[in-house]
Amino acid sequence: MKKPRTRRFWSVVLTLLVVYALIRWGIPALSREITDLPFPLTVPGTLMFIYMLLTVIALFLLVTFSEEHLEDFLYPVRRFLRGEYGGVTRAVGLAVVPLLVGWQVYDVTVPKMEQPLSLRIQHPSSNFPKKNETLKNPFANTTDAEIDAFVEQARVNDIGFIPQVQPDLDSWAEYSEAGHMLEAIATAPVRAFLQELEAGSISRDTARAALMEKNLFEGRALYSMNCRPCHGDSTAGDGPMADGFKLRPINFTDNGTIETIVEGYTFWRVSNGGPGLPTEATPWDSAMPVWKLNLTEEERWKIILAEYDLAQKTPRIPESH
Amino acid sequence: MSCRGSFLFIVLALYWGGVLAAEIPSGPRPAASDETLAEGAAIYLQRCSFCHGLLGDGNGPAAEYLDPRPRDFTLGTFKFRTTQSGELPRDEDLFRTVSRGLSGTAMQAFDSDLIKNGLAENERWAVIDYIKSFAIEFEDPELDPTKNGLVVTLPQERPPYSEALVAKGKEVFEHAKCWECHGKLGRGDGQESFDRTDDWGFPIRIRNVTHPWKIKAGIKVEDIYMRFSTGVNGTPMPSFVDALSEEERWALANFIKSLQHQLTDHQVLKAKGVEGEILDDPTDVNWAAAEPMDVRLTGQVIAAPRWQNPSIEMATVRALYNENEIAFLIQWDDPFKDVTHQSTAEFNPQEISRVGGFNSYVAANGMVPRQLETFRDAIALQFPVKLPEGTKKPHFFRGDSSNPVHLWQWQSDLAEAGTASVKEFNARGWKQPTKLQADDQQQVTATANWDQGRWSVIMRRPLLTDDRNDIQFIKGQFIPLTLNAWDGSNGEHGLVMSLSTWHSVILEAPIPLTVYLYTLLAVLVTGALGFWLARKEQARTGPGV
Repeated sequence: MKKPRTRRFWSVVLTLLVVYALIRWGIPALSREITDLPFPLTVPGTLMFIYMLLTVIALFLLVTFSEEHLEDFLYPVRRFLRGEYGGVTRAVGLAVVPLLVGWQVYDVTVPKMEQPLSLRIQHPSSNFPKKNETLKNPFANTTDAEIDAFVEQARVNDIGFIPQVQPDLDSWAEYSEAGHMLEAIATAPVRAFLQELEAGSISRDTARAALMEKNLFEGRALYSMNCRPCHGDSTAGDGPMADGFKLRPINFTDNGTIETIVEGYTFWRVSNGGPGLPTEATPWDSAMPVWKLNLTEEERWKIILAEYDLAQKTPRIPESH
Repeated sequence: MSCRGSFLFIVLALYWGGVLAAEIPSGPRPAASDETLAEGAAIYLQRCSFCHGLLGDGNGPAAEYLDPRPRDFTLGTFKFRTTQSGELPRDEDLFRTVSRGLSGTAMQAFDSDLIKNGLAENERWAVIDYIKSFAIEFEDPELDPTKNGLVVTLPQERPPYSEALVAKGKEVFEHAKCWECHGKLGRGDGQESFDRTDDWGFPIRIRNVTHPWKIKAGIKVEDIYMRFSTGVNGTPMPSFVDALSEEERWALANFIKSLQHQLTDHQVLKAKGVEGEILDDPTDVNWAAAEPMDVRLTGQVIAAPRWQNPSIEMATVRALYNENEIAFLIQWDDPFKDVTHQSTAEFNPQEISRVGGFNSYVAANGMVPRQLETFRDAIALQFPVKLPEGTKKPHFFRGDSSNPVHLWQWQSDLAEAGTASVKEFNARGWKQPTKLQADDQQQVTATANWDQGRWSVIMRRPLLTDDRNDIQFIKGQFIPLTLNAWDGSNGEHGLVMSLSTWHSVILEAPIPLTVYLYTLLAVLVTGALGFWLARKEQARTGPGV
């Protein structure tokens, strides 16, 4: 027996189906592996159209490559048209194909009830003031003078805490009868500092580390008062208010959020909020408040310090020019 | 399903799936020691103290702004347990709460499997060791529920969820009088007033059991079973362990499960076109046939006065239109019908709104009166004044200076007084006060009723008006809309409210005739082509074989 002449026709059909399946399901499935996101990235309709068109063109070239190829391809088609697969098959085929085409035409022309997608740039830079690029968090870069002042306050046990943490510290002090207010922040750097304080010889590095702990302590309190309702205890953008926002609060623990921007940018975003964004970042959907209207610069910087610490991330280092 | 809908669905599925895996410890509990206590103290300082306080007394800097208030650990009273009413929790109960959090509250999941910067199992046990050190009750072996046979377990026989079981549970709900507090339909509308307080002196707000996202200690049948088998310590919620058999309680849990609302997952409201009059009766067939859209709302936390204890977190919207007018039916749960308004009791936000004020959030208690007969209930629909070009819209919170919005605010006190109950406003951002439209431009009318803990408000207006500050409803256009909502007895008025982000409404235009024409043409041409080819092919080779 000679080889079946229907092979070329079916290989063309199969190729089309495989390519379609790859684009429709294969790429989205692969995207989940690559991005680690909990949802697939689907191929947009126009791109799908271009891919399928290219496939059809390639197959057309293949089929029309030679007279023989074309004859092979057309062989089952001709047999079908002649009714050699049976009169019923031909009748059904001739009826189904126009209906399929009709369905596609209807689907393309009928008005769609899908809301237009709005694309969004998460970290827009078009109106980001250049001077903010190199802005440093003063609480991550304490000066020697500030450290010395802190040591002085510690010596007389009169640390200047922000008013928001004072009531809780006061009741703690009353109950615990501690010797020093800083004992409330029972971390290793503070303990080391208190030991040196008692011994009377304080190194600036120990003091710097202790001051950092104090600033983090205040920053976390401010974060939990101001930002936690949306961004959550976890800083993962899952606070109790988050579900009501179509544009979910940013997840700081995600790679690609606060890790990829400089501190000055974070400060600018916190200060100016959603309304400070340019059009490409869809400011009308952003619930981020304009925090400069309510928080002092110091409060904002302390929050940023605590935010990076809680999320276990570090800001991007500004590029030097 | 829309792309965003399926995304949310997947996230939720993952979340709930993760919760199941996270709540039970994988191995035996490590013994408490000085080291674990020290480790727990360090974690507590970083992650817990800002709500629960340095002394574990529930008085951290964020505590005053939260309702429910953070737990005071020093009393040894814990709400969510698997032990008998009034008893201490098992360690596993604390582990579960720390791991999965309490849904709808500020207490979030801390499991490192659920959040990237979470706590590993050993760390969670260490912090539990530390939390237990706040209450001396935990040191008394006579109070240990596991050693004294005070643990409540699930029934041996747990028939699966079925309609028969739900029906049986409904009977239990009736005769155990759950409805006296929770309301006949479970909307938390059973009580007449805020006449009871919890052990900490805060007024009791009865749980609406139909909103799964607010069910703190789990939405599964097993979780619900535990709540009325153990009671909720510190609150009037009793244990029914003696009053009801295991079988009855299991049926009741299944009934409560059946009340949980399934949220719709689309952001586009399809207004249904109807012939003739649109009725004011929400039970009318046309309203029933209109596709509902659930809108999630959240506390207004964007500008001072910020509010993170909103009462209304979901409203269901439907829309109908005929050749003249459009009507919106908005329904939301509210346990009290508040129809009075005292403007003298309104909160002056000036002090908390300034830069460097102590906090720009409104405290849960003491700042605004959260009581009956003080503020009205209200709802508002917000549209852009001009239909957006492309995707550009006004800001979802009251628009902005160059993109004004149009608000229709329905007020319950006006409705009760029998006067025009809707006020049309325009706004250009939240900083400026809203601007009331002129009397002759007030064209929105409304009817409303409150029944068994649910408001149903129908607002209607002609499709088109001649006011350039009004939204115009044009068929086939996506018209953005948001909701603002106020629950008077929750102290809500002014910017102390809940709100949604942009959704949209579209008036379904009839499918144009050309679509059918093109389709028919395509079918005919393709059919004729096939027929012609077949004829031609047959002619080429001669008839038949």
